[in-house]
Amino acid sequence: MKQETNALALARQWLVDNSSLIGVLVLIAAVCLVGALTTDRFFGCNNFLNVYEQSTDLALVSIGQTLTILTGGIDLSVGSLISLTSCLASGLINGDPDRVLPVAALVLALGTCVGLLNAALVIGLRVHPLIVTLGMGAVLQGVTLLYAMGPVGKVPPNFNFLAYGRIADLPLGATIAAMLCILVALLLRYLPLGRQIYAVGDDDNAARLTGLPRTRVLMFVYGCSGFGCAATGLYLVARFGVGQPYTGVNYTLASITPVILGGTALSGGKGGVIGTLLGVYLISLVSNLLNFMDVSKHYQLVAQALIIILAVSVYVNRRRAV
Amino acid sequence: MTEVTAPPAQGNPDRGLITALRGLLARFGIFLLPPALLLLGGAISPAFLGASNVSNLLLQIAPLGIVAIGQCFVMIVRGLDLSVASMMATAAVIATGFSGSNGDVASIVAAVLAMAVGVGLINGLLVTKRDVSPFLATLATMILLQGFRFAYTQGAPSGNVPPLFRTLGSGKFDGIPFNFAILLVLATLFWIVLHRSAFGRRVFIVGGNPVTGRLLGIRSDLVTIVCYVLSSCLAGIAGLILSGYVGLVDNWVGQGYELDSIVACVIGGVSLKGGRGAILGALAGAAIIMVIANEVLLFGLPIQIQIIIKGAVIVIAAALYARRT
Repeated sequence: MKQETNALALARQWLVDNSSLIGVLVLIAAVCLVGALTTDRFFGCNNFLNVYEQSTDLALVSIGQTLTILTGGIDLSVGSLISLTSCLASGLINGDPDRVLPVAALVLALGTCVGLLNAALVIGLRVHPLIVTLGMGAVLQGVTLLYAMGPVGKVPPNFNFLAYGRIADLPLGATIAAMLCILVALLLRYLPLGRQIYAVGDDDNAARLTGLPRTRVLMFVYGCSGFGCAATGLYLVARFGVGQPYTGVNYTLASITPVILGGTALSGGKGGVIGTLLGVYLISLVSNLLNFMDVSKHYQLVAQALIIILAVSVYVNRRRAV
Repeated sequence: MTEVTAPPAQGNPDRGLITALRGLLARFGIFLLPPALLLLGGAISPAFLGASNVSNLLLQIAPLGIVAIGQCFVMIVRGLDLSVASMMATAAVIATGFSGSNGDVASIVAAVLAMAVGVGLINGLLVTKRDVSPFLATLATMILLQGFRFAYTQGAPSGNVPPLFRTLGSGKFDGIPFNFAILLVLATLFWIVLHRSAFGRRVFIVGGNPVTGRLLGIRSDLVTIVCYVLSSCLAGIAGLILSGYVGLVDNWVGQGYELDSIVACVIGGVSLKGGRGAILGALAGAAIIMVIANEVLLFGLPIQIQIIIKGAVIVIAAALYARRT
């Protein structure tokens, strides 16, 4: 009898701990149900693989964004960094197959460096990340426009394998993103650095007083975010075949939505990347469904805003209730 | 008591003076920057300080100044309003939604203000009653407005702005632009509201220390909501004026003003943590941004440099203010 109540208590605890994940899963199931009822093309392996494929870019940015938000910060430079890296990648490769690998490596290194610079400014100037990355975003957008005012460069035709290629029927880019996400999730759970990220986000002062390597933590999360942006930039070049100076504009805000849907608190210290990944899939599913229902792009924006408002209101309420 | 404190001041009068000067500089240094920038511009090109360019500068400062006043209120109550630019564009689209004659001005203004009050209420209620972070709440309304605007205009707005708005937005009287006169009136009004009224005191208390505010019996939620409504309404007015200045309306009137108005406030000493700020500082910030933008063109630098400078300025300004406190 006693053991049974223990098991019940454990199960309840598990449910409470993972309530945000369960919430997203329930929403995903609900969207699938609505989709299956409205159109017979929605519920099928093919369509789900498409949705999975289309979620790549958002997944790549959002993983890094989750890390910065976990430390109580935010990265508003992601949109401009994506634009810059995609322009540089396509402009420097310029159709030459031999340059693909070195340029890809260079762009990824550059993205990481910009992230590290963000972290250095946050630490050195003691200014809130919101302002540092907002300013950095403006600077990067300016630099991007100095480099190219319109679509620039081109990539060899087989470069689009990154975006459209499939290995054993699984889309390559989306699978890379999912693998990265699982890797980061393991890191957050099992490595000291991961626990330190939560500690810094939970109480920055306490973390500093207990001697946690705050500098290293911030460098890591903003570096990851920059790396993710560069990866997204490369992916977008592969998808569109060309770099555009405004291609990343919408990602700044879009990357925050799945993080919040996935149950990561904006105040930091609570949440995780798996929730974010599920949030990304939820968003992709919703926009896929809205496409099937012939909802115009304009009303999709409205839907996106309503989802943000609903998500934040609901989560806040739950946190208050606890 | 006086005997104890007097000797050090007497023994080292220079230090007292320097401290006082430094205090003055910290407080009013911001107001030296616009004239300094103007002189710099004048030194490089005499035309810069000519009557017509200065008058044009005033014309450009006005809409940003009006938005910055509202942003200042919101930032003092620990908020941030990202929806202002979207509100401006919405106001501009509404302005062309009627027949385009002066007879519609009253209904246009009424429609814009009603819309603005609604947007401000949504922002304020989300922030206060649902504890949503101001950043996200105003972000959501920004996207919401954008979606409705695009759905309404089908991506291609058409129609004319009533001539009265054209006059207010771009007309001048003896070199003084009408829209700058509007800015002066609004600035005076809201300077009194913020710095000389009981409501203004409450705004500072709610932003500076919400717990004290609650203990004093201030309805902090109400004060915060009013600040968001003010910000939206001022953005609506600025949008109408800017639509008159631009002449033709597109879906992006006022694009970038959310960032610019925040930058203006931060440069002007409005604290991002709330509780500190002044209307005059925000206006000086707006003037600095517009003068810099004007000078970038004057110096023949590529226009993209404007964005880079804006980004650098906001970080530097925030860093300077962070050091001081």
